Amino acid sequence: MSSLAAAAPRAPTHHDDRTFVQKYIFSTDHKIIGIQFLFLSLLFLFLGGVLAMQIRWQLGFPGQPMPGGGILPETMAPGGVILPEYYIQLVTMHGTFMVFFAIMPLLVGVFANFLIPLKIGAHDMAFPRINMASFWTAFLAGAVMFASFFVPNGAARAGWTMYAPLSARPDLSGADYGQICWCISIVLLGLSSILGSLNYITTIINLRAPGMTWFRMPLSVWCLFVTAILGLLALPVLSGAAIMLLFDQTLGTHFFDPGAGGQVLLWQHLFWFFGHPEVYILILPGMGMVSDIIANGSRKPIFGYHSMVFAIVGIGFLGWIVWGHHMFMSGMNPTLGSTFMVTTMIIAVPSAIKVFNWMGTMWRGNLHFHVPMLNAVGFVAMFVIGGLSGVFMAATPIDMHIHDTYFIVAHLHYVLFGGSLFALFAGITYWFPKMFGKMMNEPIGKIHFWLTMLFFNLVFFPMHILGMAGHMRRIYDPTQYEWLKGYQPMNHFITLAAFALFATQFLFIWNFVWSLFKGRKAEQNPWRDNGLEWTLPNPAPHGNWEKVPTVYRGPYEYSLPGAPDDWYPQSSKLPNDREPAPAPAPAH
Amino acid sequence: MTHATATLDQMRPPVPAEPGLPIYNNKLGMWVFLASEVMFFTGLIGAYVILRFGAPGEWAKPNVVLNVPLTGINTFILICSSVSMVKAFAAISAGDRKGLSRWLLATILLGATFVSVQGVEYWKLVHEGFTPAGFTAGSHITELVAQGKLSDVTGGLYGSTFFTMTGFHGFHVTCGVICLIYVWLKSLRGGYTQQDYRGVEVIGLYWHFVDLVWIILFTIVYLI
Amino acid sequence: MATTAHKAPNYILIWAYLFGLTVLEVLFAFEMPISRNLKILVLLGLAVWKALLVALFFMHLKFESRYLRLMVLVPLPLAAIFILAVITEHVW
Repeated sequence: MSSLAAAAPRAPTHHDDRTFVQKYIFSTDHKIIGIQFLFLSLLFLFLGGVLAMQIRWQLGFPGQPMPGGGILPETMAPGGVILPEYYIQLVTMHGTFMVFFAIMPLLVGVFANFLIPLKIGAHDMAFPRINMASFWTAFLAGAVMFASFFVPNGAARAGWTMYAPLSARPDLSGADYGQICWCISIVLLGLSSILGSLNYITTIINLRAPGMTWFRMPLSVWCLFVTAILGLLALPVLSGAAIMLLFDQTLGTHFFDPGAGGQVLLWQHLFWFFGHPEVYILILPGMGMVSDIIANGSRKPIFGYHSMVFAIVGIGFLGWIVWGHHMFMSGMNPTLGSTFMVTTMIIAVPSAIKVFNWMGTMWRGNLHFHVPMLNAVGFVAMFVIGGLSGVFMAATPIDMHIHDTYFIVAHLHYVLFGGSLFALFAGITYWFPKMFGKMMNEPIGKIHFWLTMLFFNLVFFPMHILGMAGHMRRIYDPTQYEWLKGYQPMNHFITLAAFALFATQFLFIWNFVWSLFKGRKAEQNPWRDNGLEWTLPNPAPHGNWEKVPTVYRGPYEYSLPGAPDDWYPQSSKLPNDREPAPAPAPAH
Repeated sequence: MTHATATLDQMRPPVPAEPGLPIYNNKLGMWVFLASEVMFFTGLIGAYVILRFGAPGEWAKPNVVLNVPLTGINTFILICSSVSMVKAFAAISAGDRKGLSRWLLATILLGATFVSVQGVEYWKLVHEGFTPAGFTAGSHITELVAQGKLSDVTGGLYGSTFFTMTGFHGFHVTCGVICLIYVWLKSLRGGYTQQDYRGVEVIGLYWHFVDLVWIILFTIVYLI
Repeated sequence: MATTAHKAPNYILIWAYLFGLTVLEVLFAFEMPISRNLKILVLLGLAVWKALLVALFFMHLKFESRYLRLMVLVPLPLAAIFILAVITEHVW
């Protein structure tokens, strides 16, 4: 029986006798692991931004020495002038850092870990030690990926989508060790993700507090649940593909080598079979957090809770059968292509349902535009733009014209930055008090939001126009083409706006760091939210609750008619509330 | 012999919870993990399918390069190890701790035999000129090509897919054997009782899954 | 909600089935004078039958909650979709 007690999550002990290393370094507490992911991924978000600034420098000021470029090696940027070999590494690693080490861990590693046990009323995750392993594996993966810049011949350079045969042939790409690092890092990250997902899924299924039925779970938890299922089933395919790529590079296998009968389309099918569920992994948790925050900021129940759940499940299901829309120009079977066009258009429907429900939630609500609410509403607006461009591109004939152009870059940044990143700003600000016991500064948060919104649109909206004009992705020097020379002023403008956008983020960094030390001490429930996590002190103690709470209602009971307050916590018992059905007693 | 429901409930964590699935966390976690493993092997098998269907030449026929009868026996060995695993599980669920250890040891030995036979097979194949990169020049394999029994156009693909698929399966079996050794040693110390044998059931699920994958792989790689 | 009490399956019988099916498979791969496509279908069918025996009886899925069975089934259509899609690349 000792193994049972050791492995099961524990109620908080009054005397916490863990050492510093056990508490903060090799911690099995889901909250600490979530915060560890937060610091790791914010670092990679920053690094990804630094890479983006260098990309924009080259596009806005082609061939000119970059300020500070002197620290780069001569083989990459002699005299600070970015070489094509370095540019393509920047483009590849910007995508890789942002997708795999910034957004994915920020949304899943941070918020799934931090929020799930708190919001469902559990002491900790089902497998705390596996949770710890998941973080440290991700850390190792990040270290390997970062190190790939410093190995001989530099980092991988076939785009974050790593298409073969360019990625499989060092003689073609110029990257050997860097490519191997990429493959190994991705396999490690896949493992970290799978370990995390199995934890989240098991915890949500089996460790919900009494009364927390499936349809009383907050939408953030629903989204994280479906995201975990997507991650569980998609990442192994990527790992398999990365392993095959690694073998092509090191063992001389021929998976992607057309000369020996291999197929480049195989890489694309494998990658995008993973890649499309991946992009839903990158947006769903954001959608979930935004749902919670919009209901809170509107002081109204979420409009259409059940349809939101079905939309989330629908997105999760449909996301598996649309991957070919990334491959319309690959030369795949045209019948297959048409099928993907239809399924891609269908998947717009559940997302649209969610958008209408968010608007319905805000309609006639008692709107409080606190910083998380601002960012959440910004998310909805920007996601609509990104989503609409997506429906547009779903039509194969249109995609033939704009595939691999800046139109795609505009679309993906509208959904990932305008979408996920705004959701992250909202979520980090919202749950900062729960994590650190302090509030983030509100005026700075508002200024950060408005400036980011402004510059973000100035950077990425013109890219739609560039893309339509034929400005291709990942290109080092667009001025080599006559028809693009005229668009160079637009590139220049975008670069200046991008510098402003990056500079604005220092407001957020400053706010975050300053608030950690000097922020206003947070009251227990600063947002007057109904979630279970707000019934705990800030920051929440190890083990969360002494005794697991009982849940009597759903999470969005705001502005209940006849109630003294405009919010009702899930675990507060009213005279009319019934106790949940007792769990079945063990036989004899 | 029946499975006592009491033991199952006593293996659940003693924390009040809304009913989820009526199985304890470790078992649910292992099933969830196995779902991800299904997808991993799907990726590998999908790669094999597309490469074989689109191959520029004829694929090797069964038993020309690979030794089907030997692998058939090896398959049978792995199936026997699955039987011994389930007998181990049945033993501890009836409270027979000595039987548990005995059957676990049998499973380990059978599993290790499987991996060893595979390892020997690999060594022989490479020795004969069949490698992950394809056919080595001037080897026994190229003689077969010269005799018209084998097309060397698809040799590279054949090698790549064979070694990757069976190699990863073998890696999973090896990991399984290592975990089984841990479980066996724990069983010798009396770590499992009729009231709590979660670790045995969980490793058992993994082991049966590994057998199941091999059943599919054997057919696809060796027989078709 | 506990697992319903049930009699343990006859593992030796299942083992005999598996042995028999394996022998059948190996013989089939070599001996039968039937068309190649039919042969592939039969071999895959035999493999799936064996896999089901292992899953249902050795992994005790037959005796578990139907929700677990449902959960376990989830990756299978995804696997099928992927394999079918890549097959169609070469079957126009």
